[in-house]
Amino acid sequence: MSEDAEEEDDALVAQIREALRAVIDPELGQNVVDLGLIYAIEVTDGCVASIVMTTTTRGCPATSFLKQAVQDVAWAVPGIEFVDVDLTYEPPWSPSFIAPEIAGLLGAR
Amino acid sequence: MPGASLSRWTLTYFACALLCLVGAEALMVMGFGFPGATIEAPETLILVHLVAIGWLSLLMCGALFQFVPVLVARPLLGDELPPVALAFILTGLVILLSGFAGMTGLVAVPAEAMPLGGLLLLLGFGTAILSLGRTLWAARPLTMPARFVVVGLAALAGTALFGESFALILSGLVGGEAALSLLLNGVPLHALLGLGGWLTFTAMGVSYRLLAMFMLAPETERFSTSVVLATGTLTLMLIAAATPFALAAESGLAGMLLAAAVTGLCALGVYGSDMLALYRQRKRRNIELNAVAAIGAFAALLAACLLLVFLLFSGSLPEHVGALTYLFAFGWLGGLGLAKLYKIVAFLTWLECFAPVLGKRQTPRVQDLVDERHAAPWFGVYYLAVGLGTLTLLVELPLVFRIVAGVQLFATLAIIRHLYRARELLNVPPDLRRGFARPHPFWPQPIARKLP
Repeated sequence: MSEDAEEEDDALVAQIREALRAVIDPELGQNVVDLGLIYAIEVTDGCVASIVMTTTTRGCPATSFLKQAVQDVAWAVPGIEFVDVDLTYEPPWSPSFIAPEIAGLLGAR
Repeated sequence: MPGASLSRWTLTYFACALLCLVGAEALMVMGFGFPGATIEAPETLILVHLVAIGWLSLLMCGALFQFVPVLVARPLLGDELPPVALAFILTGLVILLSGFAGMTGLVAVPAEAMPLGGLLLLLGFGTAILSLGRTLWAARPLTMPARFVVVGLAALAGTALFGESFALILSGLVGGEAALSLLLNGVPLHALLGLGGWLTFTAMGVSYRLLAMFMLAPETERFSTSVVLATGTLTLMLIAAATPFALAAESGLAGMLLAAAVTGLCALGVYGSDMLALYRQRKRRNIELNAVAAIGAFAALLAACLLLVFLLFSGSLPEHVGALTYLFAFGWLGGLGLAKLYKIVAFLTWLECFAPVLGKRQTPRVQDLVDERHAAPWFGVYYLAVGLGTLTLLVELPLVFRIVAGVQLFATLAIIRHLYRARELLNVPPDLRRGFARPHPFWPQPIARKLP
């Protein structure tokens, strides 16, 4: 793969990460990116996005909505034609994954 | 499939449960049943069953239909069963209470109404056990909280069977020496399996997961929790094993109950230390009202345990069992129920109204649906009233108890008003609410993700 294509994919990853800030976890009221719920974003071939995510707790009734919202938001990023969202609990989410800048807002310690 | 894990009937269960709570509290204000009447009087039986079945059991069933799938991370099996169970339980309860009313002579109801009501309750709770049991069975091996629920459901089955036996004996359909002996001696077993087994043990199991989730406490399985599960299960087995003694009117019954009290208090003691550890290890410094209000319920449980020990040592348990039951049912179980309702109603409403557009437009947080500042004092008033109510029962001031029960009713209505406001999105800032239809108070609609 050419260096240009790699840079384009990286740029799309950054755009998807930014777009995903529109999706909030209803319980904690913060976006899924800063909460550390998005474990990985990868873009290949300039249009295929693969996202690995988790939820704060296994079996949460909002899980399917969060997964669907992440898929929809990533798919709406210009240039992305296919999105695969994989839900994982390995490793299980921990409050230590929360971005330091919002940890204070949640009263997390 | 989006929305598969949302229980559509839970809010309907909650609405019926709250209606029964208000009804029971109104009866207490009117001086109906204990302490105005004796603890065995039909009026007291009406009050007790309105609280135990109408308020607490409907609340627990509704919560479990939503929460067991969360505990086992699988959808509910037999999701067409909750409305069937609700219809059976409500009809059974009304007929059972009518049967008790018939015993007072106030209304002309045939004595057979009681066993018919009991049978419908058996069917209703059996249906609920079938749906929840299948879901739990399919999810083996079970996590620790789910094992508590299994034991709780077994205790529910035992409680309902005891109840139907009593109804058959009271109506005269079943007689004989053993039956009479069971009626005279078995009531504590029925009450302990119901309040201690079904309601308390299930609430304990669920609280491990709910409180850890809402306070961001570590969800690790502690050794102490298995001690609670083992000693609690042993307690309930001792109570169930006392049945032959109750049938034969043998003196061993008191010894079995004393042994159950010792193991039960041990289980509750370790459970208390587990809860304390959960609060201390929480990652979320600023806890929400549901977790703060639950502290009142834990305090009531501790007070009830201490009162039980005092009454056992002073030999005055028979005179004050009414006060103890009141504190246990309204302080511990009812307090925890109201505290958790405050969270669950807002969360289910958020799922119904805002989850379908998540990521597509700005949505409020679950916390935006509630107004904790104005709701918090009412939980304080509620617990204060229950505490004073217990005191007035202990020192035998029935008139003052009625006034305090009035305060309890008022606080309950205020909390229900807050639940209604959360449900109807009345606390959500108007700009975030614009474009969203207000949901039906207790009849949620099926939800589906809105297409882009």
